Amino acid sequence: MDPLIVTQAINVLYAVSTLAVLALGLAVIFGLLGVLNIAHGEFVMIGAYCAYLIQSWEWPYLVALPLALAICGVIGWAVEWIMIRPLYRRPFDTLVATWGLSLLLRKIAEGIFGLGFRSVAIPLPGTVDFLGTEYPIYRLVLIAISLALVAGLVIWYGSSRTGSRIRAMVSNPELAQAQGISVRQLAAGTFVAGTCLAGLGGVMIAPLAPVQPFMGLDYVLRAFFVLIVGGLGSVLGLFSGAAVIGGFDSVISAATTTTDGYFAVLVLAILFLWLRPRGIIAHS
Amino acid sequence: MRTASLVVLVAILLPLGLGQFWAYQLGVYALYATAAVGLGLCWGQGGFLPLGQALFFGLAAYLSGLAFIALRGVPAIAMVVMPFIAIVSGVLAYAIGFVVFRRPGESGAYFSMITLALSLLAFQIATSWNSVTGGFNGLKGIPGLPGLDDISDVYYVSVAALLAVLALAGWLFNAPIGVLWRALAQNERRLQLFGYDTNQLKSVAFGVSGLMAGIGGVIYAPQQAIVTPQVVGFGLSADLVIWVAVGGRRSLLGPVVGTLLVGSLTSQLRDSLPFWEVLMAVFFIAIVLAFPQGVAGLAEPLARLLRGQRVRPPILAAKNPTDKPPTRLTLDGVGVRIGEVTILDRLSLDFDQAGIFCVIGPNGAGKTSMFNVVSGELATASGRIGLGETCVNGLAPHRVTRLGVGRKLQIPSVFPGLTIADNLAIALWSGRAARLQLLDPRLRRWTSPVLEELKGRYSFLVSDARKAAELSHGEQQILELAMALLTEPRILLLDEPCAGLSPDETSAVIDLIRWAARRLGGATIVIEHDMSLVKELAELVYVLHNGTLLAKGSVAAVQADPAVRAVYVGGEK
Repeated sequence: MDPLIVTQAINVLYAVSTLAVLALGLAVIFGLLGVLNIAHGEFVMIGAYCAYLIQSWEWPYLVALPLALAICGVIGWAVEWIMIRPLYRRPFDTLVATWGLSLLLRKIAEGIFGLGFRSVAIPLPGTVDFLGTEYPIYRLVLIAISLALVAGLVIWYGSSRTGSRIRAMVSNPELAQAQGISVRQLAAGTFVAGTCLAGLGGVMIAPLAPVQPFMGLDYVLRAFFVLIVGGLGSVLGLFSGAAVIGGFDSVISAATTTTDGYFAVLVLAILFLWLRPRGIIAHS
Repeated sequence: MRTASLVVLVAILLPLGLGQFWAYQLGVYALYATAAVGLGLCWGQGGFLPLGQALFFGLAAYLSGLAFIALRGVPAIAMVVMPFIAIVSGVLAYAIGFVVFRRPGESGAYFSMITLALSLLAFQIATSWNSVTGGFNGLKGIPGLPGLDDISDVYYVSVAALLAVLALAGWLFNAPIGVLWRALAQNERRLQLFGYDTNQLKSVAFGVSGLMAGIGGVIYAPQQAIVTPQVVGFGLSADLVIWVAVGGRRSLLGPVVGTLLVGSLTSQLRDSLPFWEVLMAVFFIAIVLAFPQGVAGLAEPLARLLRGQRVRPPILAAKNPTDKPPTRLTLDGVGVRIGEVTILDRLSLDFDQAGIFCVIGPNGAGKTSMFNVVSGELATASGRIGLGETCVNGLAPHRVTRLGVGRKLQIPSVFPGLTIADNLAIALWSGRAARLQLLDPRLRRWTSPVLEELKGRYSFLVSDARKAAELSHGEQQILELAMALLTEPRILLLDEPCAGLSPDETSAVIDLIRWAARRLGGATIVIEHDMSLVKELAELVYVLHNGTLLAKGSVAAVQADPAVRAVYVGGEK
């Protein structure tokens, strides 16, 4: 096979699988709790800064994972308790509140790290021979982790007791409560899981992205577009949304400019709002 | 009026007391405040939040800057162009609203996110399109407005623009369209069922807000002599949201107060207090969670004092154009499916005469779905729904209502945060007020013979300054029924109008339905479970079962029908 095509194909696969992971946390919270967490991108940012800190302390890169999970988990838990729980019946206000949260987290990051870009070195440098072409190891590892993460989560959700409790909560919170399921704890757990997934995504992409306080905005919008295109409620939808958005963006950005790529993705998302309001994979 | 003159007086005297530096600062923030007033209109009145409002301010600023540069020798022409640029911003906002709000079931989140994305896109374009926008460093060397040398002159221009925007907003808030915007934020479905195109109402609100931001933007460019990508991007968009929230989104002056207060404090404290902006973000979250009225909420008692109450005589409403003889409603083999489930199965019904008809049937028989399909809220898979000669399949709910279908929902559905008078007025305008009339505040004094008779029957409808939320459940049922009657529909659909009422209230509603059926002279179709009520009301009973018509006849005939008995008593399903 033509090595160039292989490289391009892996590039697209890389863009799609990381985008799917970055959208996963947003999809979990929006799909299961009906809360659109605009601060999702800022949790990605926190994960990325964790990776930066760990590297600047010269600790092993993997330590960034528990650090990011801990920080995003604690913040997510506090946020759910203070901001989200009082507003479950006012979804629009949760949107506004999480928007305020995104501002807050951004300003805190700005206060601590300043506005400048920080770069994170790739923990697994070097390339590997893959189907007749040299490809960066780290990206291949990321693709594998992303796929494993999504698959693992889906299998867990489908087969574990907690997964079935969450499904019960989503379809009928009152009845679930009456069955002895603590809906409050379960919702809090779901929210925390979403923020932790974002932090995880941040650690993963930190070496390949400029780390700075405003980085989250871009991710939350992209993740949101993935949800618009893919629809809520299925893994197939998540991946097809990520494929359409990620693929479109990387192809057009490569052919013209990143601004054009961004514009194309935005227009595409609006078209989907019109033509397929429930996404590619419509779910009843 | 008194508030208005007070505001103007303060605006004129302010620079005299504060000096040149503050006059300059306040002049800039007055321009931002025009955008904030528009944002308040969307968020505080219409209930949807654009997160990228700087887009319209910045677009107008760039266009105005380019116009002033291109027309350097002839500033008079540039000034003529200015209003058109502001209108461009407004039209763009309207178009964006029109596109995004078309999404069925749009909950607000999608709109907010897309406006945010648009603002980021505009920022990217502004920084990367060097040849036109001057790139990251901005569009420089914009000539100033001719004849304005002094800083206080510039201040007065900005403040005049702000006052003009405030006057426009104040007028709109007070006009019927303002009432409809507030109603929209509370109960969009009910508004559609009164025949209003809610997408259009939201788009117009967003368009007006774009125009307001545009007015600020066109003056900003010649005033500042430079336009940088910041005025179009996320930063200013975010600031506007904070200013509006802190000032109070629901009040007219709140966004202005917020902008001037927080804006000027920020410009002072940003550098000396390192975590000032973190503090503002915390403050913002606290306001969203606990204090949606903002600073303006504190001033509410004072505002009430200044407002003054004047009672004005009512005006007779325009004739209802659908004021024609009763129409026939026919359902011909109507099928509705949701996923794998058949909701209506080739249902055929014919209401061809005036009178009261009851629809009964066990739970899940498709009664409410039948109403939904007639109202245009549920799509048909097959069959035809006719209103007279018109086929209404596939028409949007507000269009069906305009053809003369009134509806009372099962759970009382009114506009809880609006006064009783506004609730009634919304029903009265339905189908009667032409589009432009929605700008005429005198319509809020409309009345009609039916309304006067209703007020004669139910005294609580007269106490019109009370909010609908303060009414009891029974009173809300009657209010919604009264609203449905005010549209003077030719077909009236009532879904369990007596549910949850006391015996006294029930007999009051029964009286009202009988009166309405006579008064309107059309077909009144009532879904009812209580057979004693059915006996009292119905001239003819339709029994639905599994989405299709099981039996039709007088109460006695239906009760004697073995098929109906089988369905109700149990037996074969």
